[in-house]
Amino acid sequence: MEKKDSKREAVLKALADEGLSREGMARVAALTGVPEADVYGAGSFYTLLTDPGPRVCQGLSCQLQGAEDLATKLEQGGGTVHRVSCLGQCDRAPVSLGEDLRLDVAGPRGAVTPDDPELPMNLAGAEDPTYQALARARQMGADAVLDALETSGLQGRGGAGFPAYIKWRAVRGEAATPKYVVCNADEGEPGTFKDREIMLRRPHLMLEGLAIAAFVTGAQTIYIYVRGEFPEETACLERALTAGGLEDFDVQFVEGHGAYICGEETALIESIEGRRGMPRLKPPYPTQQGLWGRPTLMNNVETLACVSDIVLRGGQRFRDLGRTEPGSKLYCLSGHVEHPGVYELPLGVSLSELVAAAGGYVGTPMAFSPGGASSGVLPISLADVPLDFRGLVDHGSMLGSAGVVVLNDTVDMAQVARIQAVFFEDESCGQCAPCRIGARLVRRALDRYLDSGDPSALAHLDDLAWEMDQGSICGLGMVAAEPAVTALRHFPEHFGTRS
Amino acid sequence: MSRFDIIIDGQHVSVEEGQTVLAAAKHAGISIPTLCHDPRLEPAAACRTCLVEVSGQRRLQPACAWKVHAGMEIITDSERITRHRQVLLSMYLADHELDDDGLPRESPSGNRLREMVLEEGHAFCLEPTEAPRSSREDRNPYVGFDPSACILCARCTRYCDEVEAVSAITLKGRGAQTTISTVAEVSLLDSSCELCGGCIDTCPTGAMFEKKAPLHAPGEVQKVASTCNYCGVGCQLELNVKNGRVVKVTSPQPGTTLNDGNLCVKGRFAYDFIHHEDRLTTPLIRREDGQLHPCSWEEAITASARGLMAVKERHGADCLGFVSSSRCTGEENYLVQKLARAAFGTNNCHQCAAT
Repeated sequence: MEKKDSKREAVLKALADEGLSREGMARVAALTGVPEADVYGAGSFYTLLTDPGPRVCQGLSCQLQGAEDLATKLEQGGGTVHRVSCLGQCDRAPVSLGEDLRLDVAGPRGAVTPDDPELPMNLAGAEDPTYQALARARQMGADAVLDALETSGLQGRGGAGFPAYIKWRAVRGEAATPKYVVCNADEGEPGTFKDREIMLRRPHLMLEGLAIAAFVTGAQTIYIYVRGEFPEETACLERALTAGGLEDFDVQFVEGHGAYICGEETALIESIEGRRGMPRLKPPYPTQQGLWGRPTLMNNVETLACVSDIVLRGGQRFRDLGRTEPGSKLYCLSGHVEHPGVYELPLGVSLSELVAAAGGYVGTPMAFSPGGASSGVLPISLADVPLDFRGLVDHGSMLGSAGVVVLNDTVDMAQVARIQAVFFEDESCGQCAPCRIGARLVRRALDRYLDSGDPSALAHLDDLAWEMDQGSICGLGMVAAEPAVTALRHFPEHFGTRS
Repeated sequence: MSRFDIIIDGQHVSVEEGQTVLAAAKHAGISIPTLCHDPRLEPAAACRTCLVEVSGQRRLQPACAWKVHAGMEIITDSERITRHRQVLLSMYLADHELDDDGLPRESPSGNRLREMVLEEGHAFCLEPTEAPRSSREDRNPYVGFDPSACILCARCTRYCDEVEAVSAITLKGRGAQTTISTVAEVSLLDSSCELCGGCIDTCPTGAMFEKKAPLHAPGEVQKVASTCNYCGVGCQLELNVKNGRVVKVTSPQPGTTLNDGNLCVKGRFAYDFIHHEDRLTTPLIRREDGQLHPCSWEEAITASARGLMAVKERHGADCLGFVSSSRCTGEENYLVQKLARAAFGTNNCHQCAAT
């Protein structure tokens, strides 16, 4: 239990400076008024604090492009290199970060859809720092903005696809004050790097969306939580902020410290508060009791980047840009395709269309993962299925963050399943038993299969996946067995007896 | 507080607004298994053993944390819940130290997981997780920790924080590596720990254990209700008696006594004196040979009075001081100060609980 008036929210940043030595932690405890053990508990949760220094990405796209060779090469050069979960640079695979967490080894930056002013986010377009959408929103009034948002049908772009206006309206309707608006820029779903491109290319678009959100909900303070492995993106946002436009709001940046689970909104709130990033039980929802128990609106970077267009050109126009579901959507494409990158296309395009925009496949395509590790894998026979929030669920998958990874027929699907299982084992927060134990059991079952070639090692996988889905507290545990289960379902020939 | 009815397993149950499903079920005599629940703590819903079906909810929900509302229907017993419990318990078994029968190892303070496996059954046997949880050496004399018996329910860390406000221990690391630790793995003696032993009391599996209390066969130990005599608070405790000797002290169930299952380091661990060979059982008096000899109370009191009076005559009353003990009753303490002031004429009196 911390002392009254403690500064728990300062713990993680202070630990980043002090390190996890006994003396360092004692200083952080003295500085913040938080008990030493709690300081350690929080610090030991985050890989940038437990294992600072150079790192090599272990994401699927990086592993397809030789991440292990890169890691070995860097190790031969001397020094320690940490093998870590996806770094959000899948278009530039394989990648490593240096001591300062800036890109060390990386391929050329991926493509984006060419400049087209009709596109709401238009990544290749010129930045507009005039904040005319904010001015327009103020002119319209909060209720009219909410109506436009509802008409637009904008769904949360972080992965859940929850209608944005419901959250906005809920926070606006809460009586308690102060209220907070939080931008979730903790992009970490393997295969996903769209928020990165928004922050680098169109920071004002995101900031303006935040300002409109704060205006509509009546929040004064805005938090922007950016993953710690994105120092350049943070700097870019900070530069954009100094250009003006958000003077009426108190904008705070919070750096992540290396934990995928903090992309889950309640874990992110815990992290801002200086705690272990363990998801909270819901209800209450963050819109009711979020940051410091106050009504909190949290949106993903891309969701916020759509708001200006909706305000300026109307909800209906945005809605009509979609095909099977409303709006245009940023699809991240990597793996075995000619031009990996971020493509803004109507929501509901198929993989075939997406890959066509990216110059076609490399080799003979066999499988794809439509929305990051959490979405499992699908056979290429589904390449013409609309990539949207509802439709993919019918195929036992999901759009998630639209981190699409294409795999050609050179790939061993058992290895793919293992790469994703390692990711979930590493990133499980450990709070609830089904996920903590299940993610490890799944990974070890795949290890035993790959070591022995004996399919009996995979017995009970369906039961484990069922229990993880039924019993876990948050979405991570619910999907952590999906890569293994879907690989086994769609590619049984990859899981036969091996000699 | 408004009252209304909900339905649990087809049975109408009258509940109070704000109650959890677990509390409502318990009131109605319906048992729901739990591991991470302790009524003294905020619900964590981490062990997931108490998941039930809630009307209108797609997912199973934790009975320990889910609040009742009017019109709610709860199912605690169904094929789905049986499958959930049995698969979950199979997973726990893979992550837990087992005995030769393949059951979670028995511990001196019991093992709720073991009982639950016996009650609910498990679905199948899985390869052990071999989760890499670091253990730590700790030279403190009382509290031991065995990570292989730990289920990470965090009752100990939450108890230490929420009840004792000491926060000596924490969840450390994440995922399968998560374990319980002090800051930088130091000994509890070098932490803020007050060695109250509440972590042992709340631990459902015996991962937190009392170092000096060995395992006894069932039925060997009898629990005798008693009152702690270390101070005036009057905490209720249970003397665990085997063959006429106190072998351990435990606290009664939370919610049954004023101390709510809590004890301090003295009440829980300082029972060695009871059967200690150095313990005084009769008054002793130092004779002319310089050695202590047993004597009667009358003889001892006379000798003491004579000695004290002699000091007063030689040096004055204020050269005397009287120190009493918080292990005495209030009446006894009153009498000691009365003795100091009225019989010997000095205000020099003190008691260890006085500040």
